[in-house]
Amino acid sequence: MRKILNNIYMASGYLSGMSILMITLLIVAQVVGRLFGFIVPSAEDFAVYSLASATFFGLAYTFHEGGHIRVSLAIKSLPPKVRKFQEGAILIFASVLSIFMAFYMTHLAWESYLFEEVSYGYIPIPLWMPQVPVALGAIMFAIAIVDDLVCMLLGKTPKYLQHEDEELSLDNDLGGEL
Amino acid sequence: MDTISLSITLAATMLLMLACGIWVALALIGVGVIGLLLSGNDQIGLLFATSSWGATTSWSLTALPLFIWMGEILFRTRLSEDLFKGLSPLLNSLPGKLLHVNVLSCGIFAAVSGSSAATAATIGRMTLPELKARGYSEKMAIGTLAGSGTLGLLIPPSIILIVYGVAAEVSIGRLFIAGALPGLLLVSLFMGYIMIWAKFNKDELPPHDDTKIPWSEKVAALRKLIPILGLIIFVLGSIYGGVTTPSEAAALGVVGALFLALMSKALTRKSFVDSLLGAVKSSCMIGLILAGAHFLTLAMGFLGIPKSLALWISAMTLSPTELLIYLTVLFVILGCFLDGISVVVLTTAVVLPMVEQAGIDLLWFGIYIVLVVEMSQITPPVGFNLFVIQALTGKNILYVALAAFPFFMLILLAVILITWFPEIVTYLPTNMSGR
Repeated sequence: MRKILNNIYMASGYLSGMSILMITLLIVAQVVGRLFGFIVPSAEDFAVYSLASATFFGLAYTFHEGGHIRVSLAIKSLPPKVRKFQEGAILIFASVLSIFMAFYMTHLAWESYLFEEVSYGYIPIPLWMPQVPVALGAIMFAIAIVDDLVCMLLGKTPKYLQHEDEELSLDNDLGGEL
Repeated sequence: MDTISLSITLAATMLLMLACGIWVALALIGVGVIGLLLSGNDQIGLLFATSSWGATTSWSLTALPLFIWMGEILFRTRLSEDLFKGLSPLLNSLPGKLLHVNVLSCGIFAAVSGSSAATAATIGRMTLPELKARGYSEKMAIGTLAGSGTLGLLIPPSIILIVYGVAAEVSIGRLFIAGALPGLLLVSLFMGYIMIWAKFNKDELPPHDDTKIPWSEKVAALRKLIPILGLIIFVLGSIYGGVTTPSEAAALGVVGALFLALMSKALTRKSFVDSLLGAVKSSCMIGLILAGAHFLTLAMGFLGIPKSLALWISAMTLSPTELLIYLTVLFVILGCFLDGISVVVLTTAVVLPMVEQAGIDLLWFGIYIVLVVEMSQITPPVGFNLFVIQALTGKNILYVALAAFPFFMLILLAVILITWFPEIVTYLPTNMSGR
């Protein structure tokens, strides 16, 4: 189970990375096309849809790596017992919110499919196609958060906290990047 | 519930969530949901989905992951080392010598890395021991580092300007161009201050030597700088000349950075994947914050909060300058515990209609807000960059804050100057070829 979940987070990172690569290739193709007088049809539409999947696909990976920022000034000085309670409480909040997000992003893709919505560009793209990666990304994000909530309830340290702590200790001995 | 008590409730909820350590993006979404719940809206989920879809499918936002990736690639080359080695021989004849290297390499490095904290850490790790070994005042070395790390937020391709541009719907190309002169202004203020300081504090500098550095060495040094300077000038020039959009410049910048990495043999399969995953981390973090801000702005609009705040401001007949003073104080307070991007995003949702109402140009305001946010990063006694440098040097936070204080004042001076002469910001954008 642990292995499957970790693979999901790695996949989240790689899929997002591939989407960023895709944006680069599309835009470079467009620029080259302008120089040599050919048009890449709907390149802007495809680039923008890759951006949406890059953003949502990577959410789970970023969360797992402790990449989403938050204010740690106040909570850092809490006594360990209170701190545990606080992390648990915000994880419950985040779980509810991320499940809400995942549900409605999926709902959006489903409705686009149902009403056969298409983009307005040169090539009419059915909107559900780029919306499915977004929904999948939101679902993986929810899984990552619930996973850490379960870890917390089982008395283990969630992964994002480990990464945040690593960064702190790295700052102190001057190693690693910030 | 009337608008005033609603606004206060939501602001308090936001602060409470942030203080509890809820991730910034989720706090923005959470407050949006609560606001809509309080107003009795029953389409919250649909509104969230469509606004997030809209926010993440914006053409101008495609520049963001690309510029971040470009920075991540360059980060993994010998960039910081090349900057130091390239700049030192060139700046040796100025009073203050290597202190200028600190300023300029921070400025250039921050321009490509997009983060002032990462810049202070990376450049500082290299230059601080070097400066200390040669007998420079440690306080001044730390001060220049703290001040100049924030400099790069203004030098294109600045990530924070892209974020502001997307949130405030201002052209990113024009923002980049607008940031150029204020960026130069700040660099000259810093360097001018160092020169004057060097005149009066000769005993805190290594003794002057008259050995002239031969031209051949200067040319060799310059060659180290050409690739990175070329990349920055290319990105800026192509936007200013109207040849490319920021997104296109970013994509070409990625290609250029990959080429540079290849030439310096820093490009391996591992460094390529690492740079891409690094870009994923930063751009997803910022992307979700922007989606959250977009949703919060929408929710605020439904509640009519920005509009009534704007009316309230106009009823108080505040002059634009007075409004700016209040906003500066607000931003500096927020910057004590929030990073720059969150401050920008958090306030655009509420503050922008107020600013427009007061007749302030949104393009100018973008540069202003970035300057003030930079300043807030080194506000004594708490500021994001101060903590970084404290960790780096092991010095007391008060010592670091005191060392950074002159540079805090210099940024404040720059803020006053661009308020007095808005042309510093608006001259170049009004004269660029449009695209």
